[in-house]
Amino acid sequence: MRKITLTLILLLTFCFVATAQRAKSVILIYLDGGPAQTETFDPKPNAGRNYYGNYKGVCKTNVEGIEIGEKLPLLATMADKYSIIRSMTHGSNAHETGHYAMITGDTSKSAIVYPSFGAVISYMKRDTYKGVLPCYISVTSANSRFNEGGFLGNAYKSFDTGGRPESDEFEVEGIVNKFVDKERLNKRMALLDGFEGSHNKEVLDSLRATNMEFIWGESREVFNLKNESDSVRQRYGNSRLGQSCLVARRLVEAGVPFVNVRTTGWDTHKKHFQRMNTMLPDLDRAVSALLADLDAHGLLDSTIVMLGGEFGRTPKVLWEAPWNGGRAHYGKTFSYLVAGGGFLGGKVLGATDKTGENVIERPVRPCDLIGTVYLLMGIDPYGTLPHVSEGNLPILPSLLEVGKSEGLLYEIIDIKKPSHEK
Amino acid sequence: MKKILIFTLCLLFPTMVAMAADQCRDEVFLRRAYLTVTGALPTTEEAIKFLDSTNSNKREALVDELLDSELALKYMQMRWGDILRIKSEFPSNLWPNGVQAYNRWIYEQLLNNVPYNKMVQKLLLSEGSNFRAPAANFYRGFQKRSPQNFYANINLLFLGNRDCKDNGYLCFSQVKFKSTKEWKEEIVYLDIHKELPWQRIVLEDGTALTPKPNNDWREEYVAWLTSPKNRRFAEVLVNRMWYWAFGKGIVHEPDDWHKGNKPSDPQLLAELTDYFLKNNFDMKLLMKKILLSEQFNSKAAPEGFYQPQRLPAEVIVDALASTTDIWSTYHSRVPEPFTYYPPKTRSTHLGDATVSSSELELFGKVSRDVSLESQRNNSITSRQLLYLMNSSELEQRIRKSAVLQKICMQSGNVAQLADAISLLVLSRRATPQEVALYEKHMQQNNLPLAEVAVDIMWMQLNSNEFLYNH
Repeated sequence: MRKITLTLILLLTFCFVATAQRAKSVILIYLDGGPAQTETFDPKPNAGRNYYGNYKGVCKTNVEGIEIGEKLPLLATMADKYSIIRSMTHGSNAHETGHYAMITGDTSKSAIVYPSFGAVISYMKRDTYKGVLPCYISVTSANSRFNEGGFLGNAYKSFDTGGRPESDEFEVEGIVNKFVDKERLNKRMALLDGFEGSHNKEVLDSLRATNMEFIWGESREVFNLKNESDSVRQRYGNSRLGQSCLVARRLVEAGVPFVNVRTTGWDTHKKHFQRMNTMLPDLDRAVSALLADLDAHGLLDSTIVMLGGEFGRTPKVLWEAPWNGGRAHYGKTFSYLVAGGGFLGGKVLGATDKTGENVIERPVRPCDLIGTVYLLMGIDPYGTLPHVSEGNLPILPSLLEVGKSEGLLYEIIDIKKPSHEK
Repeated sequence: MKKILIFTLCLLFPTMVAMAADQCRDEVFLRRAYLTVTGALPTTEEAIKFLDSTNSNKREALVDELLDSELALKYMQMRWGDILRIKSEFPSNLWPNGVQAYNRWIYEQLLNNVPYNKMVQKLLLSEGSNFRAPAANFYRGFQKRSPQNFYANINLLFLGNRDCKDNGYLCFSQVKFKSTKEWKEEIVYLDIHKELPWQRIVLEDGTALTPKPNNDWREEYVAWLTSPKNRRFAEVLVNRMWYWAFGKGIVHEPDDWHKGNKPSDPQLLAELTDYFLKNNFDMKLLMKKILLSEQFNSKAAPEGFYQPQRLPAEVIVDALASTTDIWSTYHSRVPEPFTYYPPKTRSTHLGDATVSSSELELFGKVSRDVSLESQRNNSITSRQLLYLMNSSELEQRIRKSAVLQKICMQSGNVAQLADAISLLVLSRRATPQEVALYEKHMQQNNLPLAEVAVDIMWMQLNSNEFLYNH
């Protein structure tokens, strides 16, 4: 009898997860270094200069009651398309541990190194994803500060495009090589064939043949930004970030399940406000263009867009030397923007106090956010992953630990919380 | 008397012939020995010197020379660094100064050829500052610092035991940590006044340990572990060394010893272990014996014993750099100190898994998350081949290579060009058939010599022969 009940529960959970899939792809826009929540999605204009620094105002958005940073006017026109999480928290102020927490959802401090959620999605989609392009792509490179493959191994790590999408020719490493045309590569392949004969190299030969198709096939055109009109390219902004976001939209359009757009320079210990003055308009332009463009292509409903970094920055400005107006690392409170793929628009989840130093409402832990993304992607956040020597491990160990999880984000997704979940 | 001699010779001769027939050619041995011992390709000069040597004992002479080289010490240091998980950041979090001191300590053990049992004793009985007593970093590199975790790791590393059930961890329960005011300096110390555990400590083999009050309890365990009577301790290292030479242990995986996992050749394992113990845990002598073994000198499979292995990530990346003489630059952005490695640093010498590059990640550099040898994945993937086939980065390296340009200037014809490139990339001269192939490529496509050189170099760097240790 117990067996039957268990099977039934498993079956129900499976059906629930299988039908719950809302999103086909994820675009993670990762602000490496840790962006300031105060200048982006949790502004505190009334906290005074010691907290709000040189900035004075906010942008009122098109959703009543939601305000965001004053340097984000374009994003302010489309708050109905995204939700803001203002109560992200993990408490770590170190880049590597904060990064690990936000990219794996694991805060259990066990001896096990978890894979990044991009790698997990790549692993989970290994049988169902049939595209020619890799399942998990980083534009232009992943953060290699820890092993993103974790215990799943190298196979599920991201494919790094390399190159400069903002230049005339986006040279994707291994695909676009302006020095060698198709004819020359074919001649070289013939030379290699003559050199090796047919001795013991069936595996290499078939991999090479696949690569030749890959290099000259449709993937090449996906990466070719010349297929976009000038006006579209300009809308995204002619920066690394802007054009990377455009590449991301094209990849999602081609069916790639996980795209990581990593942008650096957010670790603003010094000259914080000067740097924000140039970095935020770039971000505003790129992300607003991406959301609008995804929507126009009918892709926003099936694509999760996430924006954030490894932590936030100290709400209190460090006016003293040597910082002279900087913000330090802050893992206690920070913000994430989420949109599409089942995330609702026009919502704010959680809140911080007057100065932004403490979460006062609905804390969100890393595993809650990552688990919700899994759920929307049709992956059971309470499922398991195989480990080479430890057997099956929970996909998100922290989701099961007291004090490490506050529950999945049912408040801001279009899936109802099932009654069996507390 | 003469008759007996002739008779013996007649008996011996067929075996000698058989042995010679199974032996790999000199050029194969040369490359195999260099890659296994130093993780680097021989230079053209080194290759010519060995290939043209008429010394009948030249393989042993080469092995001796290689084992004494700086490159060999550094490569061996990398292997130890992999399993000891030496890394600045997550998950070991040793931080750059600790990493540097720890690496130096390992290097010195290898330089002085400290016997294996002595080295392990020093490592496990360490205490003090992570900067001044570098071996103490052994206890720092754990996410969760608990006697159970230390003990599980010690069992894995030195006994190949993945599933330890006894309570020997109690011997490590005095280990404590204290931070100092120096940036990332930490003292590993022993709480020697801790009350003795009330349980009896009994190891899996039935040995009972009796730690003394007000003393370092680890001593009891380490004496048992590293004793010549504990044959498993020696066997695990012998097997690991074999694994490092062949990519496959006599017991495989080399860190998964249990009743059901039998050695493929028990006699070989026993002989090597006897030799290792007789020579007082001398790791260098052991490596020499393995390198001069029939197996290491055999032809590659399927004709012979030696199983070809794809070169490790660091070795491929370094070989792409050394053959073109255009090197990647490495830096560590982990504070403090923020480090720029000197130009032409080999990736095998980085010493810190936190320092990496796209190419190293692509070919599967070990991230040092776990102490398992299986963390190194040397299978070939289509993405790796894609990089070799068509990346503009590699193409530019070949085109800008001053070494290749010099070869072109000095070569009057395709034959000379082919020899020079083959020596550089494949550590051998070109065969007449290959020269003919290159000439045909040149004529058919109407290419100048410089372009033929680029194509040959590209082709060899893409070949099975380059990518694998045969």
